[in-house]
Amino acid sequence: MNTPRLSHSAALILKALSLGYCFGLDVMEATGLPSGTVYPALRRLERDELVESKWEPEEEATAKQRPARRYYEVTRAGKSAALAATQRYPLLAHLVPEKRS
Amino acid sequence: MSPAAVPPLPWFDRNLLRAAERIVPAGERAEWSRTWQAELWHMHHPARKRRRKGMGIAVDLSIGLVCDAVWLRTDSWGRALSGTPALCLASLAGLCVMATVVGLALNGSWRAFAVYARGPFERSVFAAAMVVFVSFAMTSRGHIEHGSTSKGRFGLKRQAFFAAKAALVLLLACLMSVDICRPIHTVFPQTAAALQLLMFVPFALMGLRWAFADQEQRCKQCLCSLAGPARVGRPSHNLLEWNGTELACKQGHGRLNVPEMETSWCDRSRWVDLGPAWE
Repeated sequence: MNTPRLSHSAALILKALSLGYCFGLDVMEATGLPSGTVYPALRRLERDELVESKWEPEEEATAKQRPARRYYEVTRAGKSAALAATQRYPLLAHLVPEKRS
Repeated sequence: MSPAAVPPLPWFDRNLLRAAERIVPAGERAEWSRTWQAELWHMHHPARKRRRKGMGIAVDLSIGLVCDAVWLRTDSWGRALSGTPALCLASLAGLCVMATVVGLALNGSWRAFAVYARGPFERSVFAAAMVVFVSFAMTSRGHIEHGSTSKGRFGLKRQAFFAAKAALVLLLACLMSVDICRPIHTVFPQTAAALQLLMFVPFALMGLRWAFADQEQRCKQCLCSLAGPARVGRPSHNLLEWNGTELACKQGHGRLNVPEMETSWCDRSRWVDLGPAWE
């Protein structure tokens, strides 16, 4: 399968997701990109099957008294695209900090 | 989760969500709303200290919310219009408008453009008749077996679409040749006139050739572009079985079988109606 060529911001978002940032607001914080870039880019990545989204279990959210949120996860194709993007943009790894649990 | 368990969003966020919701296609509205309610809620109730806070992130997220809604709407339009005859004609008309705007910019005013373009247009109309004749003569008219869609409503619709497409292609070829020759016209008017005609003919020929090719690759019922080309058969079995490419209508109206090589028993592309069960 051909690895899709990603824009710099899409590569940055994919990198953030692969480092464990898993929802829109978190990705915004990690990358410093505006939300007008992050959310449509997440939609595009999902459409291209590089990421997939799933809803947090309701019980988990209810227990913490907050609404369930939508989590994004990098797919296998997304992982290879992220790897190719890191080779294409070597500074990418330094732009997104490792997620502290 | 019961709504009472989660404190409601502030008044501005609720109204912004309600307003932007109308932009989102109906089928995706519920999920979009749920996603953004969660995002906004988490913005107001951060689990840990954020780098950005206050009005900055609130404004940024509001912009993102609207951008996301607009993206979903444009994406749904894109999916709905992709490959449709309306998009094809609109794109050609858009290119004609762009070429006219360039012509207006080069001439300075509408009147100057009209005066300058009259001669080239008259010459182009004469040349267009010959180009159309040559294009029809060069293109095999019986290239596709249309099956049951060859006549009647579908046949008329197909011919009307082709006529509109060909007219727009010829107009575009004329406008492009007029625009390109405009800078030369002020210095060498005679040369510009000859050059305009010399440019119009290949542009029109290429355009009509594309129009014929595009027409062949469209569904014979809905006129949308055919998709999913698939290789069928093996070239080494050419004398034993059919081999070539199959293209299918995305709406399931039918498929086009394009033979790899012309044989005495299969010398042309064949349109196969799939019937209502496939739609």
